[in-house]
Amino acid sequence: MKGAIILAIVAVFVAVRLWFRWRRRASPTRPRSPIGSGPFTGDVALVAAREVRERIRGRIFRVGTLLILLVVAAAIVIPTINSGKVQAERVGVVGALSTPLRATVVASGESVGTTVQLVSETDVSAARKDLRSGRVDLAIVDGREIVVNKPVGLADTSTTAELVLALSKDLGVAEAVEAAHLSPTQSARLSGAKALPVASLQPGAAKGATHTTSLVGLILVFVMLTQYNTWVLIGVMEEKSSRVVEVILAAVRPVQLLAGKVLGIGLVAFAQAALIVVFAIVLAKAVGSDLLHGTAPLVLVSTLVWLVLGYAFYSWVYAAAGSMAERQDQVQSLAFPLSLPIIFGYIMALTTVGAGSPSTFFQVLAYLPPTAPFAMPVLVGLGAVAWWQFAASVVVSIVCTVGVARLAAGIYQRAILRTGRRVQLRELFSRTAG
Amino acid sequence: MSTLLELDGLTRRFGDLTALDDLSFSVPAGEVVGFLGPNGAGKTTTMRAVFGLTDLDSGTVRWKGERVGQAERRRFGYMPEERGLYPAMRVGDQLEYLGRLHGMSGPDAQVATTSWLERLGIADRADSKVDALSHGNQQRVQLAAALVHSPEVLILDEPLAGLDPTGIDAIGAVLVEQARSGCCVIFSSHQLDQVEDLCESVTIIDHGRLVVAGRVDDLASSGARRLVVRVEGDRNGSWARAVAGVTVSEVDGGAARLVLGESVDSEAVLRAAMRAGRVTEFVFERRRLSEVFREALQ
Repeated sequence: MKGAIILAIVAVFVAVRLWFRWRRRASPTRPRSPIGSGPFTGDVALVAAREVRERIRGRIFRVGTLLILLVVAAAIVIPTINSGKVQAERVGVVGALSTPLRATVVASGESVGTTVQLVSETDVSAARKDLRSGRVDLAIVDGREIVVNKPVGLADTSTTAELVLALSKDLGVAEAVEAAHLSPTQSARLSGAKALPVASLQPGAAKGATHTTSLVGLILVFVMLTQYNTWVLIGVMEEKSSRVVEVILAAVRPVQLLAGKVLGIGLVAFAQAALIVVFAIVLAKAVGSDLLHGTAPLVLVSTLVWLVLGYAFYSWVYAAAGSMAERQDQVQSLAFPLSLPIIFGYIMALTTVGAGSPSTFFQVLAYLPPTAPFAMPVLVGLGAVAWWQFAASVVVSIVCTVGVARLAAGIYQRAILRTGRRVQLRELFSRTAG
Repeated sequence: MSTLLELDGLTRRFGDLTALDDLSFSVPAGEVVGFLGPNGAGKTTTMRAVFGLTDLDSGTVRWKGERVGQAERRRFGYMPEERGLYPAMRVGDQLEYLGRLHGMSGPDAQVATTSWLERLGIADRADSKVDALSHGNQQRVQLAAALVHSPEVLILDEPLAGLDPTGIDAIGAVLVEQARSGCCVIFSSHQLDQVEDLCESVTIIDHGRLVVAGRVDDLASSGARRLVVRVEGDRNGSWARAVAGVTVSEVDGGAARLVLGESVDSEAVLRAAMRAGRVTEFVFERRRLSEVFREALQ
């Protein structure tokens, strides 16, 4: 079943590639659809439409999207393939093992979530040999002793370790019951003993699922913010270095070109992000993966909201930086300091997800536009924020984005036509600039 | 002929450097105007100022008497000195995009793109990426980018630089044709011979100031009269040095180039030459544009 789904995915990818290729070859002289047609009008829309069209047409974008989808598919499908095969624990048995003790061994296996396969061993030395070679996971000698290859600690969480600890206790009890010479009814009662139910005053939460969603959402926000903002930076830099900007700015105002660029790349970015998320959800449902199972809709929505707000905030800053550079090496020296608040917010958010409760400092970060895209979804995931606090942070972010956009447009306007070397910030604010 | 584009008192300083110093001149419609000056004279800054690509300390640019803004600039065509196109974008798409940025509808931009690519002989490259074209073809695309929206003012910074003679002829023909159809055409160049062939008028600037402006014919025929005289057997033009008011500017292979003072009678020069030997050449010569240029900058 799963193999068929993987094959179907690969077939769809191949079909899409072939279709694009066929369409290109079949009609080389087909009339081009006019640029900027469709829902867009005005200069900003024309610039944005060009950006969308050229990016989607680019080989790097297509291959990159394909690779991301393949990685996502692998991340979802491979764990489900492995989880389908529950490995049986092989238990070597030296000497006789009474029927009640055999039943106890099987029951202990079930209690730790595995099945037990008994393997008869001729003597202790044969059992030791099988243990060393890994043919059996543990051995029971005459129902009185358990032999393992490596020592087992209480904190060890492997299935074998859990089985060994359960067996050592259960076999000990079984032996004690035998030694007490109880009636079969009494024995059955003892072995059927159930733990008492525990009632809690606070309602329980599906902590695992929320935790996973926060983590997946965080990674999504981090990867996309760094990736798409770098597109903006390099896109602006390339317009400057190819000097095409002078031709464009003879017709449109700098702020229109800048806004169109940010909007166009943003649209492509969110189309790609949406494709990846929808693909992941559909595939996870199809193969029965529990990776996204139990995703809290609220956390998902807040992650998407902050992805948009984060892009809106950072894209202007990156665009202004791009206007100050005209070579790849200059881009790297500009991009690094800009990525620091993103990395900082990401690490703080990861740490908080791990700790399970937010510090006061982290709660402050949720209101600062550079770190809010990471901090706020985590607070939502942990249920540590009220709706009005969320809304307040959104408002702060929007107001700051407007301010940053104005500042960035000013820098862009002054820097984009200055060529020859990297533009320094202080030059842009002096009287002689331009 | 009406003047459409006026530059009035343009001044631009970069720190201590004055790039434009109260520069004023105008460009009439229907003529090709050559815009000349030595390197660093302020030609590129002037052209960029028309498109608002550099801030001005003072001065205005007017078109049909109105101050130039974004709406007017959309009707202008510009070819910057440093060529600029999207390297990875297809030629046809690029021209359509620029046409639309200048206010054309989608279908109009498509039609104009096809027609200009055909006119410039690169219709078969419409689907090629710009960086796959030769230098000469890139230059043609750049010219098409300035022309695609049928501009009423055409401003070209060094459009002939780096072209072979065929390319120069092709682009030159387009410039003349545009001017004949009523467009204001001004272009800068260092190739003065080509400017002389293409332009009706020239504007020469230096240190951001206007030095000379006028029709090429008037400039060439103005100033002192020039004579080229060849006398058999004469190698150094010594006969001419004896004539009062005549200066020998150079002697090249037996042909003496003479500059006549205002009171000098050319017939007296001819008689002096005939006395020196048999006269095989006696020609009045116009000033070359290169001479006008050099003299203007002295």
